[in-house]
Amino acid sequence: MGGAPAAQRDVGGRGQRSAGSWPAVPRRRQVGNVLFWALCLIALALVITPTVWLAGGVLYRAIPNFHWNVLFTRTQPSLSGGLVQPILGTFAITIGAMVIGGVISVLTGLYLSEFASGRHRGVLRGGYEVLAGIPSIVLGFVGYIALVVDLHLGFGLLPAVLVISVLTIPYITKSTETSLSHVPTGYREGAEALGIPQSWAMRKIVLKSALPGMITGFLVAAAIAVGETAPLIYTAYFSDQNPSMHLTHQAVPYLTYVVYYFSALVNPGTQANILSYDAALVLLVLVLLLIILGRIIAARSRRHAE
Amino acid sequence: MAKRTRLVWTAAALLPLTVLAAACGSSTTTTTPPSTAKQVGPSLPTSPNKTPETITETGSTLLYPLMGDWTEAYQKQFINSAGAPILTIETGGTGSGTGVTDAATGTVNIGASDAYLSASEKSSYPTMLNIALAISAQQISYNLPGVTTPLKLNGTVLAEIYTGKITKWNDSAIKALNPGVSLPDLAIVPLHRADSSGDTFLFTSYMNAQDSSAWPTSNVGTSISWPTVSGALAETGNGGMVSGCAATKGCIAYIGISYLSKTQAAGLGQAMIENGASQYLAPTASTISAEANALTGKTPADETLSMIDADVSGGYPIVNYEYAIVNTKQTNGTVAEDIRAFLYWAVHTGQSETTYLSAVNFEPLPSSVVALSDNQIAKIGT
Amino acid sequence: MIPLLALCFILVVLLVEAIPAIRVNGAQFFYKSVWNPGSFSSTIVTTDGVKHLSGIDFGVLPDIVGTLATSAIALIVGVPISIGAALFIVERLPRRLANGVGVFLELLAGIPSVIIGLWGALTFGPFISQHITPWIARNMPDVPVLDFFRGATGDGEGMLTSGLILAIMIIPIVASTTRDLIRQVPILPREGAIALGMSDAQTARKVTLPWVSSGIVGAVVLGLGRALGETMAVAMTCGVSLGSVATNLYGTMTTISATIVTQLDGALSDGTGFNVRTIAELALVLMVITLAVNVAARLMVRKVSGTALPVGRGV
Repeated sequence: MGGAPAAQRDVGGRGQRSAGSWPAVPRRRQVGNVLFWALCLIALALVITPTVWLAGGVLYRAIPNFHWNVLFTRTQPSLSGGLVQPILGTFAITIGAMVIGGVISVLTGLYLSEFASGRHRGVLRGGYEVLAGIPSIVLGFVGYIALVVDLHLGFGLLPAVLVISVLTIPYITKSTETSLSHVPTGYREGAEALGIPQSWAMRKIVLKSALPGMITGFLVAAAIAVGETAPLIYTAYFSDQNPSMHLTHQAVPYLTYVVYYFSALVNPGTQANILSYDAALVLLVLVLLLIILGRIIAARSRRHAE
Repeated sequence: MAKRTRLVWTAAALLPLTVLAAACGSSTTTTTPPSTAKQVGPSLPTSPNKTPETITETGSTLLYPLMGDWTEAYQKQFINSAGAPILTIETGGTGSGTGVTDAATGTVNIGASDAYLSASEKSSYPTMLNIALAISAQQISYNLPGVTTPLKLNGTVLAEIYTGKITKWNDSAIKALNPGVSLPDLAIVPLHRADSSGDTFLFTSYMNAQDSSAWPTSNVGTSISWPTVSGALAETGNGGMVSGCAATKGCIAYIGISYLSKTQAAGLGQAMIENGASQYLAPTASTISAEANALTGKTPADETLSMIDADVSGGYPIVNYEYAIVNTKQTNGTVAEDIRAFLYWAVHTGQSETTYLSAVNFEPLPSSVVALSDNQIAKIGT
Repeated sequence: MIPLLALCFILVVLLVEAIPAIRVNGAQFFYKSVWNPGSFSSTIVTTDGVKHLSGIDFGVLPDIVGTLATSAIALIVGVPISIGAALFIVERLPRRLANGVGVFLELLAGIPSVIIGLWGALTFGPFISQHITPWIARNMPDVPVLDFFRGATGDGEGMLTSGLILAIMIIPIVASTTRDLIRQVPILPREGAIALGMSDAQTARKVTLPWVSSGIVGAVVLGLGRALGETMAVAMTCGVSLGSVATNLYGTMTTISATIVTQLDGALSDGTGFNVRTIAELALVLMVITLAVNVAARLMVRKVSGTALPVGRGV
């Protein structure tokens, strides 16, 4: 801010010399201005280039070998075929985490926004904020030690879902709390003035108007759940069976495993390497769909509000 | 283990989250249909039990593709009247360590491992068996453009490379083994595995067997403390070894024989290495089989045998059994019978080279070793 | 309540698992550079009532240094790029184009780390080690500090590759948060600066950025949190060199999370369970580092601006 008074004097001085027209900008500052924005443009290019390179590289390697029947063919034990079981497994883990993590998070967010006060709120909020900072590999390790081994659950859907739920809780809780706090106080006062019972008002008025924001939070959490690997290796493990209602003692396949363990880094088979890139492609498309869906919901609710 | 479990349970009692988990866990484990244990006899079942059952296999990534081929064929061969497989076999692979532990703790039925059980594993898990399934080998690869004759190397030279005593390809020790080959003045880049691996165990065993003063016994294992060598690189997985070596001129690497087509495609050279009979040989089907066949008589009943650097004329020196790690105490008699049937099939029908083994460059078990495996398979019960 | 209980549960499990390892490994765990999980011929011995294999020796200084170093590279490279890009998006791009770039940032944030790792290990790492790093290593003057940029450049697995991959992963977090913050800067102070004769570059530097600086600190800390704990992308690109600190910028190295994910399998084959306990101790160290960064940053930012930090990875 130190430059402001100097600039002021500068303007005043030049203003006297050529009154009535814009003062000429000194060359040094013109150059400085162009240089600054050029640097910013380069920065933007450095953000975009790796994304295009990365996504393009995956598409370039995946698409020549991609056939639609990959989506409808089962993964054979010989690491060939399609991706039916991993796709189903990824869906099962994600949906499970959305249900368990979602219920916990929405209730926590509701409590934080509507009922908790003062110290209590601070401690609880600190709790989930700190939870967001725990590296996912630590969650996976704890999941393996505590759930898979000590509680004898074995590899399965339940340990995987629990670990991923813990991972998603902070995101859904945060979005629930924020979108509830954005509901105008007038709505709540109006409902009270009309004598509507609080629980009914909560469900039909407050939650309803906070819903789009909450859904966006769910979609973000789903995108994270879909893309996780480290917490799943030692909880879901992997298998070539469909996910089923056996919640424990039955390993679950998922797409990120295929990306890594079927890749040329770990596996010599050409068919397996092709499946690895196919899985990467499916994951990219899934994440893109979730992001676009989130954008559409956010845009529609904004239009609705206006 | 017991102490840890108790403590965690105490923690769990405080926590609704885990109580929920435990409740779900116990409710699903009890749904396994009860069945009566069958008599374990010397004769082995040749087909799975009629009760629909699922058995699980995890472990070695080297065995994973072969296990997959076997499983696929087995499930196609034994089907019920509706055409569905009688026995469902789940396979997975993240590493040998997981295979051993999970088979011991009952998390899975079959663990796949590139190494037999260590002394400490045997004393920790006394009811575990290591059952030989196939013969594998390891190649020593290098990236030396212009050198077309296969280089000859031995354990002492390899140990001196991996301890940093030999740093150039034109070192006098390498020249002495390869008269007439013009070796470049190029720095040697030793590659080793970053993850825990049966291949590391085989390679360090070979160096130790050839020259225990250059490579001490305390540095033999699946995951070891590598001496610090300037420029040395660590790679994850056999695939990482192939791509890392292909990208690094002057590299040397130890790579599982399953990756033969990949090392050839990457243009890597394959060393001829010295065996216990002082011959220099490359890993081929005949040299690998020669080593394995000569050692059938030495294989003990529990099949725990190092086939590294044996004094066998015409035998390639880095050869090993691939193992199924199985607990003799299964929780369920039907499952035990199904495991016996599947493993019996694997060490008989599954030994077909053209159908199964050649895809991963493994060699079939000699018939007397198959008999030893059969005896061990018969011990699997409840 | 459940988020708090889950947090306590994680801490209790890690502590219970790690305590025997903390006793046996002692203080050398933090200052020695060695990773020796015992050999195949190891026997079972007992120290302090804790069973473990003979010959084990653990010192994770390289893991701690590697974790901090790769995160530092990610911040040094990623933060200026993010802020520059955010300024350009808000001040220079037409609204429609800015929205398009926004989708781009969200996509980059949403790409699963295993895919970024695959690209880093198979495409990006080999590319820079063939075309870029040898040139830097040759032309960097051989003087102290800068000689860290000299020497063998390897095959593309190492500290620089992992650091740059982490930079790519934190850019969307920092850039999109900064962009949102800049959009919220009121128009009046900026118009005032222009009226005083500042160029728009000066306005951006002297009015807009200081206005949002505490928010940017928050975004940077979020990015740091992700960089410290990232597992797959780093494990696939760092070379996982246990027991030694990289000798130059391109050397193979390891981070705490990469060690955990690659060594857990080997540790499981130790029948005494001690090696798994050692990994629990390592996980505890990682958790303490990330929690300390998180809590410190939150306290700091609350003091400065009175608002809470955003949660999440900015997807």
